Amino acid sequence: MTQNAVEFIEVAKRRGGFKLGPLSLVIPRGVIFGLVGPNGAGKTTALDLLAGLGRPDAGCIKVGGLDVTTHEVAVKLRMAYAGPETSYASWRRVGRAIDFVSGFYKDWDDARCDTLLTAFGLNRDKAIASLSFGEKNKLSLLMALSRDPDLLVLDEPTTGLDPTARRFLFADLLHRMRGENRTIIIATHQLSELERFADRVALLDRGNIRLCGDLASLVDRFVQIDIAWPETAAAPAQPGITILERSGGRARLLVDGDTAGADWRTRLRTEIIGESALTLEELYLALVGPSAMTRVPETLS
Amino acid sequence: MVLDDLTLQLGPVSPATPGPLYGQIVAAVKREVSAGRLEPGTLLPSYRLLAEGLMVSVITVKRAYEELEREGIIHRRQGLGTFVATHGGDRSRDAARAAAAAALAEAARAGVQAGLTDAELQTLLATELKTLRSTVA
Repeated sequence: MTQNAVEFIEVAKRRGGFKLGPLSLVIPRGVIFGLVGPNGAGKTTALDLLAGLGRPDAGCIKVGGLDVTTHEVAVKLRMAYAGPETSYASWRRVGRAIDFVSGFYKDWDDARCDTLLTAFGLNRDKAIASLSFGEKNKLSLLMALSRDPDLLVLDEPTTGLDPTARRFLFADLLHRMRGENRTIIIATHQLSELERFADRVALLDRGNIRLCGDLASLVDRFVQIDIAWPETAAAPAQPGITILERSGGRARLLVDGDTAGADWRTRLRTEIIGESALTLEELYLALVGPSAMTRVPETLS
Repeated sequence: MVLDDLTLQLGPVSPATPGPLYGQIVAAVKREVSAGRLEPGTLLPSYRLLAEGLMVSVITVKRAYEELEREGIIHRRQGLGTFVATHGGDRSRDAARAAAAAALAEAARAGVQAGLTDAELQTLLATELKTLRSTVA
C-alpha cells in the first residue's frame, strides 16, 4: 500500500484559454491538505480531474496508488467530493436526493446524515430549488460528510456557511483525522482558517505549484524585514530576497530562508529595523497578492 | 485522563492570544506541569486526539509535543504513548525561572536606555512587587 493518498504526475489540461500544469503534486496520507491560490489559478480544474470530472490531456492522477481514469469506480467508492457546482436539483426534495445518493455507497452513515441535517438546519421535505446559496452548499457538504471515505475532497466548503456551521464542519473534519489513513483536501480562500486546521498546503498560481510544504516549515521559512534604504543606494546583492515595498528611504523585503542561505543577515550589511513572521495570508499576499502582481520583479541579485 | 478535561485544562488555543498556536500549547502544558496539576507519569492524548479537542491541526500538536520533549518536560515511549516526564515539573519551573530572568534583563535594558538610574529602577521593581503581592494576597 502506497503511503500517498494522491499523486498528480505531470498532469496537464487545457480549458479554453487556461492551461493547467504540467502539475506534479504528492499528498501523503493522514493530513488535511489545503489548496490555495487566486481565482483562475486552476484549483477547481485540478480537483475536478481528481474527482473524475474530465480527463487530463497528459499525465495521470492516482488515488491510493490507483489511476483515476482506469480505476474510476474503485476510486469513486473510496473518495467523496463536494463542490459548489454540484447540483441535486433534479431530485426536487432534499430527502429524495439523500435517498438516491446514499444507495450508492457502502460507507454511508444514516445516523451521521441525520446529525448533519440538524446541524445544518436542513429538512428532508424542503424543495431543493427553494434552498439559499448557503443551504445548497450545506446539502453538497452533507452528501460528502455522511460518508466515511479514505479521501475527502472539498472545493470552497465554507462558502455561505455561518460561523456555527463552519465550526461544526471543522470539528467534523478533525474528528475524521483520528483515523491515520484519512486524507482531506480543501481548496479555499479562507487562509486564516486553513492555517489553523491544515497540516500541509500548496499554493497554485496560473496553473502551476508555486509553493508546497508543511505549514509549520513554510511559515518558518519566510520572514519580512524593514531596512533603511536611501533612494540613491544601489540594491544590495542578495538572492532569495524580494522587495515588497519601497518608499521614502525605507524598504520592506521578503526573505525566503531556503534560497537566501543561513547567513543572509550578515551578508545584507544593513541594519534591520523591524522583523516579523508572516501568517499564511500575508505570505500569500506577498507572493501572489495585488502588490506582487504590479511590482517590478526587482529581485535583489 | 478524560480528554474533555484535558482540553479544558490546556485550551483555549486562540489567534487572539499572542504567540503561535503550538507555543500556546507548550506554555499551557508547562504551566499545568509546573503547578503539579499534571503529575509526572500522566499519559497525554495522541496528537490526533488532542488536535480534535483543541480544534487545531495535527501538525500543531505534533510540533508542541516535539518542543516539550526536547525540553524534557514530556517523553515518548514507543508504542505506549506520551507521558509527563519524572522531572517535568522541575524542568518547567526552571524554564519559567529562565523566562522570568530574561524578561527582567530586558526590562533592565529598557530602563537603562530610557536613562533611569539604578535607584529609580530598583524603586520601580519594588513598587511593582508590592502591588503584585498585595493583589495575590
